Amino acid sequence: MVGAELKHPEELLKERFRRVERAAELGEPDRVPLIIFTCGDVLRKYATGYELYFNYGKAREASVKFATEYPADVFLAALAAEGFIFALAFSDYLDIAPSIRFWTGPMHDALGDKYTKWPGRELPEDTVFQFLGGQFMDVKEYSKLSDDPVAFINESIFPRACVNLEKAGSPKANAALIRLGFEASKYLKFLGESAADLARVGAPSLPLTFAYAPLDFIGDFLRYPTGALLDVRRHPDEVNRACEALVKPIIKVALSLKPAGAKYAFIPLHLNEYLSPKIYNEFYWPTLRKIIVDLYGQGIRSLVFFEGWHDPHLETILELPKGWGIAYFEKTDVRKAKRIIGGHTCIMGGISPSLLLEATPEKIKEHVKDLLGEMKPGVGLILSPGVADISKAVPPENLRALIEAVEEYGRY
Amino acid sequence: MTHLLISMRERVLSIVEGLLREGKDPSEILEACRKAAAAIGERFERGEYFLSELVFASEIFSGVMRVVLPVLKREVKPVGTIILGTVQGDIHDIGKNIFKAFAEAAGFRVIDLGVDVPPERFVEAVRDHNPDIVGMSGLLTISYESMKKTVDALKEAGLRDRVKIIVGGGRVDGHVKRYSGADEWADNAVLGVRKCREMLGLGG
Repeated sequence: MVGAELKHPEELLKERFRRVERAAELGEPDRVPLIIFTCGDVLRKYATGYELYFNYGKAREASVKFATEYPADVFLAALAAEGFIFALAFSDYLDIAPSIRFWTGPMHDALGDKYTKWPGRELPEDTVFQFLGGQFMDVKEYSKLSDDPVAFINESIFPRACVNLEKAGSPKANAALIRLGFEASKYLKFLGESAADLARVGAPSLPLTFAYAPLDFIGDFLRYPTGALLDVRRHPDEVNRACEALVKPIIKVALSLKPAGAKYAFIPLHLNEYLSPKIYNEFYWPTLRKIIVDLYGQGIRSLVFFEGWHDPHLETILELPKGWGIAYFEKTDVRKAKRIIGGHTCIMGGISPSLLLEATPEKIKEHVKDLLGEMKPGVGLILSPGVADISKAVPPENLRALIEAVEEYGRY
Repeated sequence: MTHLLISMRERVLSIVEGLLREGKDPSEILEACRKAAAAIGERFERGEYFLSELVFASEIFSGVMRVVLPVLKREVKPVGTIILGTVQGDIHDIGKNIFKAFAEAAGFRVIDLGVDVPPERFVEAVRDHNPDIVGMSGLLTISYESMKKTVDALKEAGLRDRVKIIVGGGRVDGHVKRYSGADEWADNAVLGVRKCREMLGLGG
């Protein structure tokens, strides 16, 4: 960014992090912050997908290269797949839970999980990992899930969902868990080193922890999204009871990183855009709201990714305490979001990954100028392309145009 | 019938099986599906139905198709043929399957190539089946590149002008359409079927 190269990395770190924090607190920073998030697609500019997920050295190099070439206020690289079910399964052991909350390539090798597929394994070498989920719970088992989610997942789901855990207590299963432990320890080391690499170039990391919407947990890890949607209609009471039972262990997992300084709980939503307001308000929102409110009461703001089109549910966000966190939108027009939740909730989003891919640098600058012109008056705004990643094929000049435009038009 | 198809899947399937046992012409059942799909589509576009209703309806339609298509007494002329697949590198198929069910209910013949479909398989399928439309689906940003590669491969094979091309997926929009060189785009199944009908001059 203009002037950025003149500043000392430490100074930049503070300045950039403060910017995000001010926005989340609904205060006025010096400029609208820009957060760039990737699961690896855009980092394939520097390494293959396989290298990014299986070789921590390559992953570190690629992250620093990107953060240096395209300096945003925060650069978040999640080079690991959704593994919240493992964190939840170990929620009674909080020294373990956060380290296996995401799965890397080698962790997938250790477990043989059926949830994810990886480049160089089930997929070609140069693609991104993919989370597919699956149906590993029978509809008749809702009561077991509700009675004791942690035991049920450990005892019944893991043997079905992970090839190497098929027979609990077998040498193979025990070895798989020990290997998982080895890999978790390497992954934690990588996270620390990667954060230090990024800090050296002035790119702060967000002190994150993680939570989950209970109905998404059921959809992603137990019943498959379409199964969960059908269950809501056919077995509404069982679904609601199970969602309630999941609240406590989810909060426990989220709080596990509080002693390490976590300030924001990242909660990626999935089924939100599928649901009618009636179903959303009855089955999805009450337990998610409980989690967000509880965490806020304990000093943790949530960073909720409202996947897809969240428009029909925008007003429910007003049920949360003012300043509860950051609402990260994907297809919902942030202008519309501002009209409804502006001043109450920090709004994040505004840049579609497809715009970055297809438009010219001039068009991108124009988009940012117009958007900020409308969005900036008032407070609590963060610009960001969606969690849907940024394509490797995005021209460098387009990314630079985005960064320059935020600098140019984002000053308060 | 239209009303019934919007109700529960089991009920619908048992009714359909009953009708077939009574000797009802299967093509009449298909016609009912078409009407139901159109009614559901209208409700979706009016904001009364949501994606979960489309998932639910697609489950019903695909169930009905499995029962009815094998026993069709006379060939029902499809309104058009679609080659459909999730593009190379992407293995997500929820969206593709919903679109397929709605397209079939609307009277299209759909040849589903599955997921992670390389450009050359789309080209081959266009050669083999001479479709009216190629439908490319994708959820991840990596799919944008594959969509473009597939359109380019069709161009190279000299087949581009023989087909209409639509790209679809939750994160697909006009930018992706222009980037890939497709003719149309859709981010939900109802819009996708409407665009397919429009591309063939069948009206909305």
